[in-house]
Amino acid sequence: MAQQRALPQSKETLLQSYNKRLKDDIKSIMDNFTEIIKTAKIEDETQVSRATQGEQDNYEMHVRAANIVRAGESLMKLVSDLKQFLILNDFPSVNEAIDQRNQQLRALQEECDRKLITLRDEISIDLYELEEEYYSSSSSLCEANDLPLCEAYGRLDLDTDSADGLSAPLLASPEPSAGPLQVAAPAHSHAGGPGPTEHA
Amino acid sequence: MATYSLANERLRALEDIEREIGAILQNAGTVILELSKEKTNERLLDRQAAAFNASVLHVEAELSAQIRYLTQVATGQPHEGSSYSSRKDCQMALKRVDYARLKLSDVARTCEQMLEN
Repeated sequence: MAQQRALPQSKETLLQSYNKRLKDDIKSIMDNFTEIIKTAKIEDETQVSRATQGEQDNYEMHVRAANIVRAGESLMKLVSDLKQFLILNDFPSVNEAIDQRNQQLRALQEECDRKLITLRDEISIDLYELEEEYYSSSSSLCEANDLPLCEAYGRLDLDTDSADGLSAPLLASPEPSAGPLQVAAPAHSHAGGPGPTEHA
Repeated sequence: MATYSLANERLRALEDIEREIGAILQNAGTVILELSKEKTNERLLDRQAAAFNASVLHVEAELSAQIRYLTQVATGQPHEGSSYSSRKDCQMALKRVDYARLKLSDVARTCEQMLEN
């Protein structure tokens, strides 16, 4: 059960010193307390006068009480050192803490990515409509070579799915406008209707 | 979660021991104060003295057990594990979210400007 490990001398020495400090402090507390109780006993016969004996007992009790307090503070320091040692060297709990932290962070990352993917899917639909509206309106300032997203995807779809005759209702090809948009687009023969707006 | 709380349990046990050390000193002070009175309450005296003894023995036993446990689990090596990689990945995911939010706000602003015009 208690396996003897080959600890480095420093660690072993440190743990032995902790044991020693514990024993010394507990012994100091018990001994000083016991002596205070013994000193509190009033004796009839004293070697010196009562006043002197009283003063001596008073001083002794003060010193022993201070010793008890010092031993208590030393015990608190020992507990603090043990806490520090535990945090640094208790490998099983450190491993578990690291594993749990990794799990939490990975779960948060996966949730962020999942929500971003959902957002992407939702926004791509809206973006089609927005681009269609934007590029077919008179306020579009795009260059001649620029294709609106819907048309670019439409061209891509045609290139890849021409054999299937796949029609994308959302990818209605806009009528060539009189604006700067002078795309040499082939006549799209898919089943889309005319664009939403026609410019004279 | 159970094993993660093991570390917390040990630390909590040590904090309880700290409180008990304070209680030890308080009991000792109460006993001596009671002894200093002319008319001592013997029952209180006995109770406090018994509590003092029990607390001292309990603290000694608990601290010995903690030191024994540390003797068993401590190695001489420093722990080299870290959660840095997953923390970095999570940070990048949060940056992606911030970037997406920024771009969405740009789009929203653009749409509002278009509507105003």
